[in-house]
Amino acid sequence: MKKLVSLLLALALCLSLASFASAEGEWEYKEATISMMVGNDQVMTGIDAVLALAKEKLGITVEIENRVDESVLKTRLAAGEATDIVSYNCGALLVAQNPAAYFLSLNDHPEITDRLDDGFEQSVTVNGVTYGVPIDCSNAGCILYWKPLYEELGLEIPKTWDEFLANCEVIKNAGYNAILSADAKTSSTQLIFLGDFYNVMAEDPTFVTEFEAGRAKYATNPAAFKSWQKYETVLPYLQDGHEACGLEDGLELFASGNSAHWIYFSSILGNLYDLYGSEVTDNVGIFAIPGDDPENTGITVWQPEAFYINKNSEKIDDCLRFLEFYISDEALDAYTEAVVPHGAMLVKGYTIMNTYPAVANDLQAYFDAGRTCSAQEFISAVKGANCRSFTGGILSGLYSAAEAAALYDEDCKLQAVQLGLDWE
Amino acid sequence: MSKAQKYSVWYILPALTVFTVLFIVPMIISVFFSMTVWSFADFRFVGLQNYKMFFEDSQLLQGLGNTLIYAFSTSMSKVVLALLISIFLTSNIRLRGALRSVVFFPHLVSNVAIGITFCALMHPTKGVFNAVLTSFGLKASKFVYSPNTSLVSVIVTDVWKGLSVSTVIYIAGLQAIDRTYYEAAEIDGASRLQTFWNITLPLVRPAMNTVIILSLIGGLKSFDLIKTMTDGGPGNSSTVLALTVYRQFANGYYGMSTTGNIIMLVMISLISYPLQKFLLSREVSQL
Repeated sequence: MKKLVSLLLALALCLSLASFASAEGEWEYKEATISMMVGNDQVMTGIDAVLALAKEKLGITVEIENRVDESVLKTRLAAGEATDIVSYNCGALLVAQNPAAYFLSLNDHPEITDRLDDGFEQSVTVNGVTYGVPIDCSNAGCILYWKPLYEELGLEIPKTWDEFLANCEVIKNAGYNAILSADAKTSSTQLIFLGDFYNVMAEDPTFVTEFEAGRAKYATNPAAFKSWQKYETVLPYLQDGHEACGLEDGLELFASGNSAHWIYFSSILGNLYDLYGSEVTDNVGIFAIPGDDPENTGITVWQPEAFYINKNSEKIDDCLRFLEFYISDEALDAYTEAVVPHGAMLVKGYTIMNTYPAVANDLQAYFDAGRTCSAQEFISAVKGANCRSFTGGILSGLYSAAEAAALYDEDCKLQAVQLGLDWE
Repeated sequence: MSKAQKYSVWYILPALTVFTVLFIVPMIISVFFSMTVWSFADFRFVGLQNYKMFFEDSQLLQGLGNTLIYAFSTSMSKVVLALLISIFLTSNIRLRGALRSVVFFPHLVSNVAIGITFCALMHPTKGVFNAVLTSFGLKASKFVYSPNTSLVSVIVTDVWKGLSVSTVIYIAGLQAIDRTYYEAAEIDGASRLQTFWNITLPLVRPAMNTVIILSLIGGLKSFDLIKTMTDGGPGNSSTVLALTVYRQFANGYYGMSTTGNIIMLVMISLISYPLQKFLLSREVSQL
């Protein structure tokens, strides 16, 4: 009996040692080279740090290719010439990409899927099959504000859109630039509309299902049309030359401290930090794009892109090793050490060591209070492809809000027909 | 049969095969796929729905309108301006060879490079054009960043570039005119304007027709300059058909994209074929 107990104890000790060893990150070392395609606007600092570590620990060398345009990826996937690992959107865009045809299922790999944050896992799961791991932290559509200006003018964080406009008026009268807008990067003009989605859902929770069924339209649904009207109300507060302002110009302007607001992604904190360091990012705060209800302000969240494994890759085992490593604590530490994350890392049980005040104080509060909502593109497959033309069109004075919303409805119809939805 | 058959079937067969496989067959397949919603894996036949949607969508129609404006305005500008430049360059001036090279130079630069360069020159605050305009006391323009001027800005750039080839064609045409006509006119005491109107213009017509047809077709299918300079914006104020087709393809609307291509093909054929017939009928022979 004693013998048996000691044997069991010894066995238990061995097992615990073995599990301890694997938790420590005893990775299998085998030299391999895999190719990977990432978006050309992806901030690579963090990813590069993990790649360097992967080469050291796993022996995997990753060759990066840039995705200039979505069409490049779509065409290469369809032609069977994609890279071993592909970075692409999750949510509705992933559904539209027909993942079952191109991407490897991770369902048999609990060592990967068990680590994923539930909300994120949902957005990379199509018909019960999970496909990807987050390449980055989550992102938010929000209003970044320059805290020293708010202090100087004694302004409060606005809880409604009207309060926000009142703040803008005060700022404009004080001789500062109220709202920064970098319209030359046309995709950035969509943020007022897309980042307002929390408010749309708060006011009319049925909108998305009605919209996808082809019954609700932006031009006619009162809750949804408010997002478009917001464009008209910000026009008097944009800086001179906003039409030609590129993203680099925008960053320079915002860092100079003369602009109070920038309606954009929280991820722009990363660009600001890369260029100007913490002196600038410490001065930036974040609040949600406000709606009409002061009691209910919340933030619209973008899930990050995910790494998917090309189903036709010849190096699937190496790719799986890489993905498992990519979301390990060790890799995330390397990631967050290299780049300060602009949101949660979406891996279970992992806490970020350091981040920006705007994320730690302002953004986190919305998550803690549960006042977040995934952006529409993660919920509905219908997103008109030319949205930026219409949002940019209002800001350049070409369209009224009503015209732009109606044009966007037409644009969504094109997409709906492609998806085989029955729209009138 | 009044005309004897010139070549045997075996002689034209290789060329015919290549032409059929590479041109006729894909064209027929395109027409079919323009009536489907297709991806690389499968397709769904929808009849004429794509065409119906195309002509109902105001954005796509605006693209069609912009294409016509773009093609005709660039073509006309090139026809007139290149003629004047070529007359200047065939006259008896110093540095004629050097100037001809300079005029041809824009043709050697890629459209994308020209687009990026002109965009920088046209920048509202940092651009050279506005610096020049304001120094003459004129109002600064937003060029490609304003919906009112974006299309015009690209048209001007296109004309600047396209003048080179048009001028070279004109120069060839002008030099082919027999000198004796001018000598005869001179002896008859014709004024310079009369000489230009009654001799140069009719006899340069073959060259002019070539310029018209080439620049018009070039304008109708123009893409790269617009893509680099405005990307169709602001809004859709400078979107043209070729850009729409590209965007739809990029968005994965392959069926609609094929439809757009067929519409473009039909439009170019409908405009250029009758035009060419008409222009050729007006040519005078130089005897």
